[in-house]
Amino acid sequence: MLHACFVRSPLARARIASVDVEKACAVAGVRGVLTGADINGEVVDLWYSQVGPDVPRTPLPPLAEGEVRFAGDPVALVVADDRYVAEDAAELVAVDYEPLDAVVDLHAALDSDSLVHEGWAGNVCAELATPTDHLAEAFANAAHVVETEIHQQAYVACPLETRGLVVEWSPADGSLSVWASSQSPHDFRQFASRLLGVAEHKIRVICQDTGGGFGQKINAHREDIVLLLAARHFPAPLKYIEDRRENLMASSSRRESGRVRMALNAEGVVQAATIDHLSNAGAYPIPYPLISSAAVGAIFPGPLKYQLGAFSTKCVFTNTPGLTAYRGPWEFETLAREVSLDAAARQIGVDPAELRRRNMLSRHDLPHTNALGMTLTDMTPLETLELALEAVEYEVFRQEQDEARAQGRYLGIGISSYVEPTTTNMPHHGSEGATIRVEPSGTVNVYLAGGSAGNSLETTAIQLTADALDVDVGVVNTVQGDTALTPFGSGTAGSRSGSMVAGAIRETAAILRNRIAEVAADALGVRAEVIEVAGGSAFVEANPINALTLAEVAHHAYFGKDAAGGLEASARYHTQAPNLWANASHICTVEVDIETGLVRILRYVVAEDCGPMINPNVVEGQIAGGVVQGIGGALLEHFEWDVDGNPLATTFVDYLLPSTTDVPIIEYLHMEGSPGPGPGGFKGVGEGGAIGAPAAVANAVADALSPFGVELRELPLSPATLLRHLADGGAG
Amino acid sequence: MKAAPFDYHRPETIDDAADMLGALPDARVLAGGQSLVPMLNLRLAYFDNLIDIRGIRELSMASTLSDTVRIGASVTQAEVELNSDLARSVPLVARALPFVGHFPLRNRGTVCGSIAHADPAAELPAVLVALGGTVEVTSTSGRREIPAGEFFLGTWWTALKEGELVEAVRFPIAGDRSGCAVREVARRHGDFAIAGSAVHVEVDDAGCVAHSGIAMFGVASTPVHAREVEELIRGARLGDLDIEAVGAAAVAGLDDIPDDSNASSLERRTLAAVVARRAVVDALSEATR
Repeated sequence: MLHACFVRSPLARARIASVDVEKACAVAGVRGVLTGADINGEVVDLWYSQVGPDVPRTPLPPLAEGEVRFAGDPVALVVADDRYVAEDAAELVAVDYEPLDAVVDLHAALDSDSLVHEGWAGNVCAELATPTDHLAEAFANAAHVVETEIHQQAYVACPLETRGLVVEWSPADGSLSVWASSQSPHDFRQFASRLLGVAEHKIRVICQDTGGGFGQKINAHREDIVLLLAARHFPAPLKYIEDRRENLMASSSRRESGRVRMALNAEGVVQAATIDHLSNAGAYPIPYPLISSAAVGAIFPGPLKYQLGAFSTKCVFTNTPGLTAYRGPWEFETLAREVSLDAAARQIGVDPAELRRRNMLSRHDLPHTNALGMTLTDMTPLETLELALEAVEYEVFRQEQDEARAQGRYLGIGISSYVEPTTTNMPHHGSEGATIRVEPSGTVNVYLAGGSAGNSLETTAIQLTADALDVDVGVVNTVQGDTALTPFGSGTAGSRSGSMVAGAIRETAAILRNRIAEVAADALGVRAEVIEVAGGSAFVEANPINALTLAEVAHHAYFGKDAAGGLEASARYHTQAPNLWANASHICTVEVDIETGLVRILRYVVAEDCGPMINPNVVEGQIAGGVVQGIGGALLEHFEWDVDGNPLATTFVDYLLPSTTDVPIIEYLHMEGSPGPGPGGFKGVGEGGAIGAPAAVANAVADALSPFGVELRELPLSPATLLRHLADGGAG
Repeated sequence: MKAAPFDYHRPETIDDAADMLGALPDARVLAGGQSLVPMLNLRLAYFDNLIDIRGIRELSMASTLSDTVRIGASVTQAEVELNSDLARSVPLVARALPFVGHFPLRNRGTVCGSIAHADPAAELPAVLVALGGTVEVTSTSGRREIPAGEFFLGTWWTALKEGELVEAVRFPIAGDRSGCAVREVARRHGDFAIAGSAVHVEVDDAGCVAHSGIAMFGVASTPVHAREVEELIRGARLGDLDIEAVGAAAVAGLDDIPDDSNASSLERRTLAAVVARRAVVDALSEATR
């Protein structure tokens, strides 16, 4: 096996005058060095299934050619006998850079004379705005107009297993094998097929035990593209495992900013609201970023009832890593709305819980078409809020808060409610297949596309299959993450797997149960209609003593007189609803040390409604992970650049993930009150924790500091940031 | 993240280690490796020769002498932390250790290594300065002792000369009526401090401060001996301490406070005053309990 290592740009923006690989190639053990000139021309067709071929194609050279566009931009690939040698040689690749002014700041980019990409005027990658005329009257007549601005720092997915893959080209039959760290093995194969012009069935993608994805591994990145292209240049398997510094510098960066205006009447009921949103596309967004930006605008009304709304959004090219999906890619809508609601509550002198009661949808208000035309169904926004308020003993806390303040201690409580469209029926995500095979011994295998990156999809699939066939979970096994073995499916993304896999298994198991009944009926000499399939056996209800175990049925199916039929089924499920709405209310309490600016989280309560839970452990695990990421985003994590675009957090010394000692016990409350229209009523739950948490924490800190007239505008809420706000007082 | 090539040596005696360090070009001592190895892997540091001292028995001892505790160069932080005799003898060291990374890191990290690495935001160098400890060093030209106050010259820069290796550090044993505290502001537990203070106080029968040792960390290119605070609190009792003056005195002499993304110089100054004040109050409370 050969090992690859990238030569990356140390500068955020520079012209590449020359690349000299001679010295690197001379190192013993080096098998080759590829540059953009060597491989970029080999791209056949490059687009992403998630958005299709028809959206504008933003520049995406496999390796930088002519210009580097962020610090970390891959310029060359060194291939050697081991990674040590590859890194030695990478240091000897001489790239002559002529520095150019980097575009770093999101707002300044719009007016900059420097363009990240030639031909993309104003550094605008994509934009969208809805009309605002119909709001003028509401704002003119409003008793209160609340304006807030909020900046969310760059913070990144940080899967503990970094990106990486092994590629092996077999010239004899023109086939390619890929062991990938991906959330979507089948899509990776489709993508590779288009990229290389190699037939899909000649490519096998295997993804096992991926150590975290969080959206970062939904789509193939430039590093994947380079390795796929490089595979045909080397006569051996080629391995690239990204190191942590590369993952931080080059994998992705979400950075957003928004201005919110809300018009409220004298009773504190929101009449109209707008958000003007900016999103960092970075230099090389994957895929086209308007999809998630538009979602920020469309979902901004969240659980609120108001009917007049508008939004604008711009995705801005900068000399920073490209935007990729990160758990709840539109999360900014919740941060912006919930922070604004608390600012409104302070401004008009209403308790923030009470303000929400006056504005939030209850299950009885649904279906509800929001101000941007999205139809919300099957949720419990107000109900989860009340549940969480009760659990946290809201009124008691307010008393404790008063008593603490009298002693010079500052406690705060923050609420954040969101609604989330899970499991969309967008074409590429709308269907999922399953094959279930009862093996000759009577054990069961369920074959699914997979893409689990720690989402417990294996547990979920086994449990659903056992339930659908009414057999013990112990006899079911699952095979996932191998395109050569499993039916097509588009992987883990958009909180879709629970419902889609449930649908696929339901459809497939229904066919298989009929087949079990047929075989059993034949063996027992009765009509199939009278056969019951339950408890791991097939029997005639009137005569259970003659029950056949699944093993006996399987024996008949494979070795009996009707052995042509076997005992397996395949089917696909196609979801019909545009999406399955899930929702939750998060409440966080904190104590802020006003002398040091340190925040300690006291309690964290999540009241959620993902419909009936397939497995509470899995649900709570998903929520926990998301909440911890949200806490990190609120308090700690900051992928920061200096003015020249140099990254300041390139190891975990500087990029501060919350550790076990930094997060509280998370308390879970499950509403299970509003089953969705999909199979089993199950709804998605993979992303919500990360959507709700940043606003809950930010609101709690702002609440703690409200006696000082502090309004928080930027994350993360570091000690220095809080001290600055406290020093500035009401000037915020 | 793979280190550049180097030769690895594992001597079994101090003399062999000193010989190697004197003779081999571009050589560096490796003990716990908690700072050196990441720097090598990130290729922020390159050495042709690494001399691993963990095979040297004489360096693996921690012992209580008549008035000091002596900790050999390969003694891990966890070994000291878990040794209750040592913790009783030099409580400020024991108090500081839980702030040094996390326990698994302290299983490898050494007390002497942290001191020799001389990160200005690290706890153990400040403890050495606060207590007026001593660094024992050795080389082919012989042994010498360096007082804590003369050891730290700058960020990652010490009075160690070419060819010298740290053999041990010595901390004075605390008196009966003493108290100590470490207070720091860090983004997360175990991180390098944004600002920190290590305080040791001894009181007389009347509860007045007879002697104190105080150092600040994270606020300059070296740990800073806070003599002005020591002066200020000499003879004072907890009840009549002007705690605001303690904070002011702790930062009065600081004129080159780091400015980075965690905190500006001004914010660090504010935080340093807070942690110094709190550490002095904690230590004095403990001493007079």
